[in-house]
Amino acid sequence: MNFELTEEQQLIGQSAREFGKEYLDPIAVELDHTGEYPAKIVAKLAGHDFLGLLIPAEVGGAGAGFASYVQVIENLSRSSAAVASIVNNHTIAALAIEQFGSPEQQKHYLPKLAKGETLGALALFESGPTPGVGPDALTAVKHAEGWVLNGKKAYVRNAGVAGVYIVFATADPAVGAKALTAFVVDSKTTGLKIGTPEETMGLKGCPVAEVAFENVVLPETALLGAVNQGQAIAAKLLAIFYVAEAAQTVGIGQAAVEHAAAYAKQRVQFGKPVAVLQAIQTLLAEVATDCHLARLGLQNAALLIEEGKPFEVEAAMIRSFLVRLGSKMLLDTCQVEGGFGYSEFMPLPRLFRDIAGTTLLDAPGDYPDKIIAASIA
Amino acid sequence: MPKCLTCYKWTLDEQDIKIKPEDLSLDSSRAKGKISDFDRNAIEEAALLVEKLGGAVEALTYGTATVKQSLKDALSRGPEKAYWVADASAEQADATVTASVLAAAIRKIGPYDLILLGEGSSDLFNQQTAPRLAALLGLPCLSFVNKLEVEGDVVKATRKLDDSVETVTVKTPVVISVLSEINKPRIPSLKQVLGAAKKPNQELTVAELGLAPEELASKAVRKSVKGFVMQRKNIIFKETAAAANVAKLKESLASIGLD
Amino acid sequence: MSILTAEQKAIKQAAKEFVAKHIIPVADALDKTCEFHPKVLEAAKESKVFAMAVPKEYGGLDYDALTQALVLEEWGYGCAGIGTTLAASILSMDSVLVAGNDEQKRRYFKPILNSEIGSFGLTEPGAGSDAGAGKTTAIKVGDEYVLNGTKCWITNGGFASVFVIFALTDPAAGMKGLSAFIVERGLPGFTIGTVDHKLGIRSSNTVELLLKDVHIPATNLLGKEGEGMKVAMKTLDMARPAIAALSVGLAQRALDECAKHVMATYTGKNYAGQTLQFKLADMQILVEAARETLHNTMRLRDSGQPFSKESAIAKTFCADVAMQVTTTAVSLMGSYGYTHLGKYMRDSKIMQIYEGTNQIQRLVISRAVLTPAPAPAAAQKAGK
Repeated sequence: MNFELTEEQQLIGQSAREFGKEYLDPIAVELDHTGEYPAKIVAKLAGHDFLGLLIPAEVGGAGAGFASYVQVIENLSRSSAAVASIVNNHTIAALAIEQFGSPEQQKHYLPKLAKGETLGALALFESGPTPGVGPDALTAVKHAEGWVLNGKKAYVRNAGVAGVYIVFATADPAVGAKALTAFVVDSKTTGLKIGTPEETMGLKGCPVAEVAFENVVLPETALLGAVNQGQAIAAKLLAIFYVAEAAQTVGIGQAAVEHAAAYAKQRVQFGKPVAVLQAIQTLLAEVATDCHLARLGLQNAALLIEEGKPFEVEAAMIRSFLVRLGSKMLLDTCQVEGGFGYSEFMPLPRLFRDIAGTTLLDAPGDYPDKIIAASIA
Repeated sequence: MPKCLTCYKWTLDEQDIKIKPEDLSLDSSRAKGKISDFDRNAIEEAALLVEKLGGAVEALTYGTATVKQSLKDALSRGPEKAYWVADASAEQADATVTASVLAAAIRKIGPYDLILLGEGSSDLFNQQTAPRLAALLGLPCLSFVNKLEVEGDVVKATRKLDDSVETVTVKTPVVISVLSEINKPRIPSLKQVLGAAKKPNQELTVAELGLAPEELASKAVRKSVKGFVMQRKNIIFKETAAAANVAKLKESLASIGLD
Repeated sequence: MSILTAEQKAIKQAAKEFVAKHIIPVADALDKTCEFHPKVLEAAKESKVFAMAVPKEYGGLDYDALTQALVLEEWGYGCAGIGTTLAASILSMDSVLVAGNDEQKRRYFKPILNSEIGSFGLTEPGAGSDAGAGKTTAIKVGDEYVLNGTKCWITNGGFASVFVIFALTDPAAGMKGLSAFIVERGLPGFTIGTVDHKLGIRSSNTVELLLKDVHIPATNLLGKEGEGMKVAMKTLDMARPAIAALSVGLAQRALDECAKHVMATYTGKNYAGQTLQFKLADMQILVEAARETLHNTMRLRDSGQPFSKESAIAKTFCADVAMQVTTTAVSLMGSYGYTHLGKYMRDSKIMQIYEGTNQIQRLVISRAVLTPAPAPAAAQKAGK
């Protein structure tokens, strides 16, 4: 059992860290204030091959593994988790095509996704808790030209800036989720309407909006995988996404504990730096511990993904762990900094707002507990 | 189309080193390795030259067994091949020893048109390796270089000295040591990092370089390294009259021999 | 819900209606623009709720502690930021109640009766949890005190008419040389510094106070010189539960919003499964327990019994509950939580920090735990 990163994983993480320090640290605060999609930064990420990290080298990507990918996400998140969100949501869409797409779809989209010419997005969740069920559910009805889609997708990340959406619609509303079918939808398709941007608590700069489908006609070739295969595809992608998001959570936590520790060493109260007070030590220790264990958990899951081994349970576990303890890392570090941890002139409040967005439970089928329990009972 | 060599040192990242409060000794157990800062600038400068003029750049390093960890890092930054000498002698090596080893290696793997190094290493910053290396190889040495231009076999360099800026020209081959302001090393892209694994590296042993044990032994032996921690006296002079405070300050300074 | 008198129920209901009419409709907008809005003060003029802690003899509503908590819970439910405005004003008034003489009370409460607000100025950049490390001075000169120093994170500072400011009358004596003063707004040398931009309670005004040679009459001294720390601690004991009340309201609001969302979206074939149901149950358990702990503390205070330890417990527990409930709410409601329930989570964090961090509260509580209990009287008599 080797817990050490390979040299490559280490160097890739180092590059991402340097990128974060050089390009993200200077803009992170402003990005949070304006919430404006950072197109220039995304272009720079593309130039460093971060957007094509998981895409095979033959189609223009870097062809690296998932264990390297999470090094990138964690390190980018130390500077700006919002930017890491853009990368995560783009990458999961690219993975969908890489793993389930037809040769034509792969040939058409992967090179563009790898170079960042096209940004990807995943349109899975709806206003109701279960995709495919409810009055606004996205439906796909057979059509002379292929399929016609109607309905709405809610809270789609990278909405409006993506060039391609991986969309899940139910092919039979009576059946609902079990008839979910996936499609690759070009952003320029007629009938696709991007809603007004949602106001999220954090991760500002990663666009979030409703995507409505009004009689969107798609050819048969837009099918991703087989009819009714959508639920299985979504489950796989979500499991991978849990691990990718976990890397964000850990990156944010790492940045927070470093800042809080530095603060505690220099903040003098009662004649001593507060870092010597046991109360502060406990807060810092718990955060550092949870961050460390989470990191080990997510790296283990990432390695399983990279090696093509079963990983859904480990992915669900890291998700479940961070749902319970992710935000706590910022609740505790803000507590260490007291009033300074509450002032938006200091860094922790932004991290507090960001980290909560990395452990969201978006659908009942999303409860990781189900997956874990099913594996043991 | 110059053939370039960059020599770099694999050092400990100083930000990971902690000072033990009990005896001020250093705890480097958690320190990661890094390419010495100014050497990074040297590698970058060589890479930029080669991108502009064609030719090739190779890397050479001398260190302890850990130096193997540095190869992919160096190779991701431009060099096509990395040579490495790993020997226990590197632990105590001073600039004389380092220069001897590098010179012996270069005699074997060279010749090169340009040999670039950082002005000094991140840990010791003796600033002697480049001039000593040049002397051993019988080559001219340009130090404190913050700007470099190469045209054919003519090298034009700007040297930033303490009280002046000097522009010099010299014909290759030449040894050059660079300041950090010469460039800003680019962040290796992922493709460059992944590509490093495919590039060749070659070990050179001290035996095959014909180095005798005396040549590898530093004349000055480093016995210990201790951290420096500022100890404040925290004395406040609170007399109401300023003159009284001055008198007390004078007394205090005299008591520690500063009068 | 604990057992309330008819009068308490009526007051609670009135507060609920006021909040629904004047606070809930503007809370999100004020949070977004980070604006303190005097409009609420205007609307509260008729009800005199800002004078709810002022005794009857001075023209106030003289609500007992439990009733004040009922009102504050409703305000916390509507907006913790606007609720903080009320709580902090009462905090400053409590200092005057604790240490002021009749004339001072009359003078301080006058603007409060007019729905103006007060502000409590203890904290300094170097004196947070270490409240006794303050450096602001109040030097006696003739029949005046001259104040110099900087206060920070002072709630209501930019809009208050009256302040209670703590300053050293004897700088050499440190904490023991601290005294409490009434300072009126607009005095020469008394200016407002930076306005803080905060993670939450954004509609609450939080500022620096800058005092440069501010002259106040000696009759503005509350109590005696050197009693400042005592006054501050006694005040905080009294006022701390206000934060507990805001926290309970805040937690209840988050829970209610979750319930609303679940009822609206988990319909038809989508039913809320046990995991979701039980998480909501856990939230309800915490809110209920928090409320009862608070109410018990208020009953103790109203009965005249010591309540210092209980006050610390209530503040700590209720603030922790608010933090837990609101954090769970955001995560549990997924993207909807992240876009609609974030304010409650942001507002909760400060409850664990201000008016004495939850770490300081634990010092108070643990001291009480580790003080040996006196032997029972009967055993003493038997000579055991």
